[in-house]
Amino acid sequence: MITLTPKRTFTVPIQAACINVDVFTGKTLQEIKNLSITEGKETITLNDAFDITEDKTIETPNITLTGDFSKVKRIGQGMKTGEIVINGDAGMHTGEKLSGGKIVVNGNSGGWTGSEMKKGLIEIHGNSGDYTASPYRGTSTGMRGGLIIVDGDVGTDVGCYMQGGLIKINGSAGRYLGFHMLDGTIYVGKDCSIRAGACMTGGKIIINGAVELLMPTFTIDSVKPKVKIDATQIAQGPFYVFLGDIAEHGTGKIFALKATNPTLSNYEKYL
Amino acid sequence: MTKVFNSVVCTICGCLCDDLEVTVENNEIVKMKNGCAVCEAKMVHGYKSEERILKPHVRKDGKLVPVTMDEAIHKAAQILTDAKYPLLFGWTSSASETQHVGVELAEELGSALDNCCSVCHGPSVMATQEIGIPTATLGQIRHRADLIVYWACNPWSSHPRHVERYTAFTDGRFEKSEFKDYVQKLKAKSGQKKVAAAIRRTRVRYQPPPRPQTALVEAPPQTLAKDGRRMVVFDVMKTMTAEVADYFVQVEPNRDYEIFGALRCLVNDQELDVDTVGGVPVDYLKEIADVMVNAEFGAIFFGLGLTQSVGRFRNVELAIALTRDLNRKTKFVVSPMRGHFNVTGANTVFAWQTGYPFALDFSQGYPQYNPGEFTAIDLLRRGDNDATLVISADPGAHFPKGAMQNMVKHPLITINPDWNAISRLGDVVFPTQWCGIEQGGTAYRMDSVAITLKKVVEAPKGVPSDEEIVKRILEEVKVIKANKAEKEDTGKQVLQETAAPKKRGSKTLKKEL
Repeated sequence: MITLTPKRTFTVPIQAACINVDVFTGKTLQEIKNLSITEGKETITLNDAFDITEDKTIETPNITLTGDFSKVKRIGQGMKTGEIVINGDAGMHTGEKLSGGKIVVNGNSGGWTGSEMKKGLIEIHGNSGDYTASPYRGTSTGMRGGLIIVDGDVGTDVGCYMQGGLIKINGSAGRYLGFHMLDGTIYVGKDCSIRAGACMTGGKIIINGAVELLMPTFTIDSVKPKVKIDATQIAQGPFYVFLGDIAEHGTGKIFALKATNPTLSNYEKYL
Repeated sequence: MTKVFNSVVCTICGCLCDDLEVTVENNEIVKMKNGCAVCEAKMVHGYKSEERILKPHVRKDGKLVPVTMDEAIHKAAQILTDAKYPLLFGWTSSASETQHVGVELAEELGSALDNCCSVCHGPSVMATQEIGIPTATLGQIRHRADLIVYWACNPWSSHPRHVERYTAFTDGRFEKSEFKDYVQKLKAKSGQKKVAAAIRRTRVRYQPPPRPQTALVEAPPQTLAKDGRRMVVFDVMKTMTAEVADYFVQVEPNRDYEIFGALRCLVNDQELDVDTVGGVPVDYLKEIADVMVNAEFGAIFFGLGLTQSVGRFRNVELAIALTRDLNRKTKFVVSPMRGHFNVTGANTVFAWQTGYPFALDFSQGYPQYNPGEFTAIDLLRRGDNDATLVISADPGAHFPKGAMQNMVKHPLITINPDWNAISRLGDVVFPTQWCGIEQGGTAYRMDSVAITLKKVVEAPKGVPSDEEIVKRILEEVKVIKANKAEKEDTGKQVLQETAAPKKRGSKTLKKEL
């Protein structure tokens, strides 16, 4: 196991895509220390910014980051195997384009966490920022597979253009949850802000709390007693099932818990 | 000596009206024809302000002290070179030539580069990248549009000649001006007022007919189905533009997205399960959708009410999606009401130089783009940068407190013609010429049409153009970097030389032996 601890408090952002199990594998400690990263516009080595130690007795997790990493961007970018544990806050683009392995954040995570991810697991035991699991600007291919679990709340625009996989949010979700979603599942344990599922054409969003305002472009389909989250988990209802976004001729589904959404009872007359 | 300049371009808003007639006496603008009140305020009075910066200043012991231009340039270049991650912000009230040099400076410094559109119509650019944009030049709209929709903007106050030059009140080749109708409406209104006054005089208490309490919106008038030009305004409050319009739809704040969604469904002949959307009854929206579909050439203009309210670029995206849906049935275009006179130019120049229109980062040696990550306010709020250069903008008056607190923690360089809020906070303050008055150049109108600005008066002595200042800073940065590299090289050589004598000594020993 390689352990990284910041040597100082960072003031400008650090881009460190090399903090990645695939890159570290097969390298000696000295080679790892000499890997280059950028602090602002300056190129420095990993050793300039972090204290790096190796413990050969422990195999997993492969990399442990201890301290405040909120200014460190792109941790575990494009990782295929292995495990990274961050004991502190993680910066933007953590686990971007992840295609395997596991990243655990014991703190909050920045924007674009798990962006365009394909496989693997990201566990965030705090809150996650805006654009979690959403793609780069102008890209229409979002998260394709894998699992993101957030214990806290998430920001806005989470799971945009999602094409597969599962995002499990145990807290609340911000605006534009599952915007332009094509497939996959998003589960929200608490409340959800406005415009959930806007422009969605497929997939499902399960909201276990209150929906602030449902888009007028959704039409009620039925009331269901329970709904499947994944192969092992089922959410107990009853749920209002809405179909949409009809402006996009979509067939996506929003499951909103009946007990927490009395305002949606107006729709029952159309059943 | 009196001199009259024709076809002078106004440098206030994105309309870039190019029909001004400016009279200059003794190197001073004394009279102007054709311009709006805002234009006159700047071009006849404002540019002669007593608050004009005439010399470069550098902050020494907490006070701004006048210095020579060379000293200020060197100081600015030193600050930018020493910083790990500087931010270059502004550019929208400069000519495109300056913006072009600015991109080169950002690349040389490895800095973040952003323009004012990140706090105005940046979301429109982002929405365009997501979905594209069916648009037209203002000339085409002027000659052909029979339905004008102003959404969340108030051109009567912000772009005073937009309605008069390009939309409802201009005589186009195929569509006539509605100005006469407007005058008649005004007369009718004043008639109504006279009647009301007469009733008051006879001491009969006038009781207005009861209004429905459920909706803020009145039903669409029958005149909306008339031939010729019609103007519809969607806004959260009754603005000056709404007073002029044929129909005003008052929407609830932050509910534009839902209304666009509902209109899209109605245009696509789909049923809605709700009765009102964003405070507007669905029946009224149906009539509006009918008017839109039956228009021969419609144009939607949207303003900051869409781009800076909840949803931001998603609102614009849906406005464009509505236009796309309407284009299946008729001809419709959509256009942003750009604010600063050359904000479109900043986007255009940055895009052709780097591939991206704003929110740029050169720290990796190549341009990266990500609004939210590299946009000025987000960057400043997180406190990521450690030096700032502000050119032709005043974030001091407009940025949030948190962002400004972080900005002034680090060195600040400003390039502005007068002592505005940001200049007073600067550590290095440059004077500069007024673009479009004392300096020519190129600017882009809100519909991306390039227009050449004219120089009408000479700048005060010793005040250079912003292009010249940025060029000189760039040259100085290159010199400082070259000197730094040379020092590092000589340092390495000294190290090698100190390590080498032993070897040389052994060689010479061998030779001697």
